[in-house]
Amino acid sequence: MKKNNFNIELQQLSVGYEQPGGNPLEILKAINFSATPGEMVALIGSNGIGKSTLLRTLAGFQPWFSGNIQISGRNLKNINSKEVARIMSFVSTENVRVPNLSVFDLVAYGRFPYTNWIGMLSELDKSVVDEAIKNVGLQGFENRPVMQISDGERQRAMIARALAQDTPVIILDEPTAYLDVSNKYEIFHLLQVLANKKKKTIILSTHDLNIALREVDKLWIATDCGNYQGAPEDAVLQGWLNQLFKNDHVGFDADEGEFFFKKEFKAKVKVEGGGLPLTWTLRALNRKGYQIVMQAEHDYRVVAKENSWELISKGNQKTFGSVYELMAFLETPK
Amino acid sequence: MKESVPHKKLPVALIFSLLGILFVLLFVADILLGSIIIPVKEVFYSLFSTSETNETYRTIILSFRFPKALTAIMTGAALSLSGLQMQTVFRNPLAGPYVLGISAGASLGVALFVLGFSSVLAAGIFTTTGAWPLALVAWAGSFLVMLLVLFVSMKVNDIMTILILGILFTSAVSAIVSILQYFSNESMLKAFIVWTMGSLGNVTKAQLSVLAPAILTGILLAFLKIKDLNAFLLGENYARSLGVSIKTSRIIIFLSTSLLAGTITAFCGPIGFIGIAVPHICRVIFKTANHLILVPAVILTGSIVMLFSDIVSQLPGMQTTLPINSVTALIGIPVIIWMIVKNKKFVSVS
Repeated sequence: MKKNNFNIELQQLSVGYEQPGGNPLEILKAINFSATPGEMVALIGSNGIGKSTLLRTLAGFQPWFSGNIQISGRNLKNINSKEVARIMSFVSTENVRVPNLSVFDLVAYGRFPYTNWIGMLSELDKSVVDEAIKNVGLQGFENRPVMQISDGERQRAMIARALAQDTPVIILDEPTAYLDVSNKYEIFHLLQVLANKKKKTIILSTHDLNIALREVDKLWIATDCGNYQGAPEDAVLQGWLNQLFKNDHVGFDADEGEFFFKKEFKAKVKVEGGGLPLTWTLRALNRKGYQIVMQAEHDYRVVAKENSWELISKGNQKTFGSVYELMAFLETPK
Repeated sequence: MKESVPHKKLPVALIFSLLGILFVLLFVADILLGSIIIPVKEVFYSLFSTSETNETYRTIILSFRFPKALTAIMTGAALSLSGLQMQTVFRNPLAGPYVLGISAGASLGVALFVLGFSSVLAAGIFTTTGAWPLALVAWAGSFLVMLLVLFVSMKVNDIMTILILGILFTSAVSAIVSILQYFSNESMLKAFIVWTMGSLGNVTKAQLSVLAPAILTGILLAFLKIKDLNAFLLGENYARSLGVSIKTSRIIIFLSTSLLAGTITAFCGPIGFIGIAVPHICRVIFKTANHLILVPAVILTGSIVMLFSDIVSQLPGMQTTLPINSVTALIGIPVIIWMIVKNKKFVSVS
């Protein structure tokens, strides 16, 4: 079978789960998403919208209600679990805590669909495992127990396990949850490289929207008012990112490419200056809810210089040595 | 996965050899020691030659000590192996062979038989019929529970639900057994209490011919599922994503466990703590999570621990024997306490 041919198509798919009473609960309806090899796709949507359910369904863990999941033209329903294990690998949010399990052994689990009945590794299997460990940058960690490595390292090991499974499709449920910022970027970068160089289809769910917007090739957006798929940039231009949150306080700033918190303005401030001091002074004022104005009519005027900040208000002038002091003065009740 | 770390390979073989030697020594010691201490040469005479044997020794060895030692080996192997499987499938270090309610089912069978029919049966019936009736009702009880568990596990996906149902079922059965005890006469009550204390010595050669094939089948099933057991360590989602058919696999593992623990409980009574403690002892000795090593390791170590318990219980040179259940508890509980204290930090994290 040709590996570069695994197109995934969700057609009019409706997913959900059986409730304890036996009533089916549909949570995502009429989804039409697709992914092609070499693409890194991020599924985004608010908490509880059904991202995990969709990924679990896609991975073949649970049945769906209606519609179709096609993998290179075949219905997922007609592919048995052993074959699915050679097409798709899965990385979940579950923390693997197995005493006495080394990183090598964990990654070697990826060879499971290929080994004999007692799971003996062949020379080929071992070289695939070594290669996978190298690809995620965990050389030298082979003999370390998985219980004694950091969360970021363990997530890499889980990704290496998926790589060792040698599947054209890798599905990851929130691979960057619980990681610190630099690890989040590294995991995204690693996945991007895998998608591009190894032509794998990588589908992940995430809440790290700022990183996803910069790194992924395609967004699958699930909202209450419909679903979207396409390049992240098209999603911004079409206003889909503002649809993500139901509440009125969070918005998406299309100019900055960032989410922001909507605030009531306290006062009007005119800011002068340039370079980084200006940029970060604006941010501080923004954070505290001051409206930045250009025109003559304002409550305060701030001049941001290299190491000092001047505040002019109703003829009085004060100088501060840091943004912190400036903000502290502004916030002090007069 | 065993071969993944080459420098570990030698110790594994070495540990198995040392355990093997220990096993042989304890097996011989278990036959020699007891209320009557038998000289080593008599064992060989009675096993391999017919002429020069002291008839008393020969009878003791062939009719009592030898079947008892074999029973000890099978008991240790079976309970430890079913404990290992339960700990892996439920991903719970405190799971044991009885979490599915197998021992409760056996107890209910025995209690209903001994206590429920106490008015109908003549006292002392067990001295005339041997252990057969008890073994059969215990077996029936544990297999009924097994069928119930298999039925539930086909319907219920969540492994924790199965665990909780097993615990609840065990509690319900103890309640019924308590009621039966309350209304039964003294001699029958004693017969029941004696059964709950466990005994390796009541198994006759005829019963061994039932016990052995059942245990071997259970062990065989466990060997067939070594690879799936490894996958279960990562949790069911990962197991499924690796191509394991969860329900089929779980049913075969439950079948193996029930066969192993159910049969032993039927013939020897509910013997506690071995099934929980031995898998942990093996993980510490072998420092591995791979069932390719752990399955044979628990079989061997379980046999060793049980042979040792049996030697202790028959108090060499004295006329009395201790209940085997008390001995295994005294050996097993310290291990479990040690494990809980050692794992405390992991428990508090999650």
